[in-house]
Amino acid sequence: MTDEMAWVHQAQKGDDEAFTNLVEMYQKPVYNLCYRMLGDAEGAEDAAQETFLKAYQNLARYDVERSFATWLLSIAAHHCIDKLRRKRFSSFSIDEDEEGQTEIPDRSAPDPETEAVRQQTRERLQGCLQSLDPTDRAAVIMRYWQDCSEVEIAQALKLTVPAVKSRLHRARRTLADLWEEKEKKSHMRHERKPYGSPAF
Amino acid sequence: MDHRPFEDWLLNNQNLSVDETRQLNSHLQECSSCSALAEVNLALKSAKMAAPAAGFADRFQLRLEAQQKALRRRNFWGFLLLTCSVLTGLVWTAWPVLKSLVQSPVDLLASWLSTVVSIWASVEALFQGGRVILKVLPGFIPVYVWIVVLLAAGGWSLLWVFSLMKFTKITQGA
Repeated sequence: MTDEMAWVHQAQKGDDEAFTNLVEMYQKPVYNLCYRMLGDAEGAEDAAQETFLKAYQNLARYDVERSFATWLLSIAAHHCIDKLRRKRFSSFSIDEDEEGQTEIPDRSAPDPETEAVRQQTRERLQGCLQSLDPTDRAAVIMRYWQDCSEVEIAQALKLTVPAVKSRLHRARRTLADLWEEKEKKSHMRHERKPYGSPAF
Repeated sequence: MDHRPFEDWLLNNQNLSVDETRQLNSHLQECSSCSALAEVNLALKSAKMAAPAAGFADRFQLRLEAQQKALRRRNFWGFLLLTCSVLTGLVWTAWPVLKSLVQSPVDLLASWLSTVVSIWASVEALFQGGRVILKVLPGFIPVYVWIVVLLAAGGWSLLWVFSLMKFTKITQGA
C-alpha cells in the first residue's frame, strides 16, 4: 500500500494528522488548479482551503477504487466553477481586470530578460484562460498543468470522454484566437510607443 | 487561407515526419492563426504550477479547528433550543394537571394513589386467576398432547438456531 492510500485509510478512521499529510502532498496541484481557474492568489487560497475542508467532510464517501488526486481535483474544479458562476451572476466580471493580473515571478531564474519574456507569456496565457468557459478552463488546466488523462478529466468533470476531447479542441482554438488578438494589440501598442500619444 | 491539415496536426499533437514538419514551419511563417495555435501549445506545455504561500497546511489546520468549533457551538445551541422546546411542550401539555397540583395537591395525590391501588389490585387478580388455571389445566390435557407440543417447540427452536447460524455466516462472508 502506498503512503497516500495508507493516509487516506487513516484519515477515514479519523486521524487528522494523516489528513494533514494529504494536504501537504496535494496543496500545490489543488492551489494551482484554483489559481488558474480564478486568476487571483487570494481567491485561489480560499478555494483551495475550501476544497480540502469539503474533502475532509466527505472523506467517508470517497471510493478507494478511484484516484484520490482525481477526486480532490474534481472537488476543486466544481468549487471553482460554482464560484465563477456565482460571480458571473453578480455584476463583477473577472474578465474586466484580466490585464491587471500578475503572475508570480520566478526569482530563481538566472536570466532576467528571458524570465521577463516567460512571465509575459504566462501572464498572457493566464489572461486568455480567464476568457474560457469555466468547464473548458478546468479541462485545459487538468490536461496541461496536472497531466490528467482524458478519462480522468471526464470522471472529474462528470463528462464523457468525447465531450472532454471536443472541449479541449474548442478551448485551444479559442485560446489561440485570443492569443492572436493580444499579440496584435501588443504590436499596436509597441508601434505607438515612440510617439507617446496616438494623436501623432 | 487554408489551414488544413496544419490546424489538425497542431490540435491533435500529431507526430510529424521531417517533410510534414518542414511544411508546417513554412505555413507558420505565413499564417498568424496557426502560429498562435502553435504558440499556445508551447505555452501550455511549458506552463508552471503556481504554489501557495508557505504554511498552507497550518492555515488549513486553523480553519478546520475554527469550523469544528463553530459546528460544536451550533450543535450545542441546537440541542439547547430543542430541549427548551420539548420542555415547553411538556409543560404546556401537562399544564391542567400541574395547575390542579398547585391548587389542591392533597386531592390530586389521593386520586393518583387510588388509581395506583386499583391497577395493583387488577394485576393481583389476574395473577391469581392465572395460577388457578395453571393448576387445573394439566388435569384436562392428555399426556400425548403435551408430548406433541414439546416436540413442536423443540423443532421450532432447532430451526431458529440453524437459521440464525446460517444468516450470521452469510453476513460475515459478505
